[in-house]
Amino acid sequence: MSGFFGTGMADTVGIWIAAIVTLIVLGALLGERRLFGWSQHLLAGLATGFLALIALTEVIGPRLLQPLVVNSTGRPELWAGVALVAAAAGAPWLPRQLSIIPASIAIGALAAFALGGAVIGTLLPQIDASIVRPGGSVATMVAGASAVVVTVLVLIGFLHGRPRGRVLSSVAGAGRWLLIGGLGGWLGFLIVSRLILLVDRIGFLAGDWLGLGR
Amino acid sequence: MIERVRGLSRAAPILLIVALAIAGQAPDVGWLRAATTDSEGAERMTSVLDALADEPLVLIGFDPDVGTYAEIRPTVRALLADLLARDGRLAFVSLTAEGRALASAEIARLGRGEANPTRLLDLGFIPGAEAGLVALTGDIRVDEGDDGVLAREVEGAGIAAVDAILVIGGIDLGPRSWVEQVIPRITEVPLLAVTPTVLLPEVQPYLVGGQLAAGLITPRDGAAYRQVLELGNLERLVEPIEPRQLPILVGMLIAVAVLGQALASRTLAHVRSAGSRSVG
Repeated sequence: MSGFFGTGMADTVGIWIAAIVTLIVLGALLGERRLFGWSQHLLAGLATGFLALIALTEVIGPRLLQPLVVNSTGRPELWAGVALVAAAAGAPWLPRQLSIIPASIAIGALAAFALGGAVIGTLLPQIDASIVRPGGSVATMVAGASAVVVTVLVLIGFLHGRPRGRVLSSVAGAGRWLLIGGLGGWLGFLIVSRLILLVDRIGFLAGDWLGLGR
Repeated sequence: MIERVRGLSRAAPILLIVALAIAGQAPDVGWLRAATTDSEGAERMTSVLDALADEPLVLIGFDPDVGTYAEIRPTVRALLADLLARDGRLAFVSLTAEGRALASAEIARLGRGEANPTRLLDLGFIPGAEAGLVALTGDIRVDEGDDGVLAREVEGAGIAAVDAILVIGGIDLGPRSWVEQVIPRITEVPLLAVTPTVLLPEVQPYLVGGQLAAGLITPRDGAAYRQVLELGNLERLVEPIEPRQLPILVGMLIAVAVLGQALASRTLAHVRSAGSRSVG
């Protein structure tokens, strides 16, 4: 039981629609691609509609337009926001130099915050935590030293196109193998997540839709 | 023979689903349990929650993704019920669209379960991902229509009013973003996390390094945590049926078998081509 549905009429309709779409998606495994394509369009349409709804009702309306209506002169930065929203919405019809401004600001801000945060919030504290300090337990020292060795090897593995000696090539190769091993482990975890999702969907069909095990 | 193999490979996905469905309906197997009695993650989570102030205000960054939420959903619901059972006040905020959709569904579910509405606050969606998190440390905007005590407290004091932060993470936005953007900008507030297993490699260093106070990352952590909960009449807010482990085991065995079959056929092809070369 997913617990997302109540007992009202709308919930019953929702369960039936969800069950039918789930069956359509599972039907793609048997080769029924036309209905599956339709369900993909439905998902894309719903996602776009939901994004638009959030943008309008939770961002543009309450954070931009309402404050401007209340006080149109006191917050000049909001007018810049309105201009950016207009430029983003009118991107297909505006000159490229103008239409790229909102996306550029968004990407630039994201990169700046992400880079700064990665250094201050992750890189420096993690280096500090990985430093092997005397007086710690043997297990902690081994774990710290291993982390440093693996990090260095993987970083060297990213040295592409540089002149290398035999030793450096071997070290870079070891780094790449460690990287592949890490990716393999990550994909293994992903399989577990996806498997649980599949089991949950089957459980939804059996429990929420067919009422088995209620 | 080849036709039969082709037919079998076409029917394999549906056979997998049938096998999982049968395993899902089969009686519980006693020896197959996810919960362990010595889960460090569950113990750490419980001890951090025990140390919180009375009626703690917990900011919940609710950003799971629909692809992995099924894995953490029972634990998330149990943790929300546990926080409410501890007289906690919960303020939900989302920075991704998927997280917002799931947060709305869970808040609606808490409403259907008759959770105390004065202890729930929906802060909605904040745009900008990392930039949005930074903005959250400045001031927190509350819906103008919400004039409850909790809403006024959060609006007045901002993030300083928060006793703990709980991140329900997903692949798009998880504890890493909170560790990088929020923790360096605020004073000592314990950061807790519930994430799917796929984020374990990312989250584990933060747990070991102490940047995350506690986390329930694997299904075993979640099961161990749920096992020790005593929720009283708030049991109605958790999932009535524990996730079955047999279908997961069956699915994993099938995945390993498929992997082994692919490796075996590749090795066989390699041996055959080497043999034909040596004959030639």
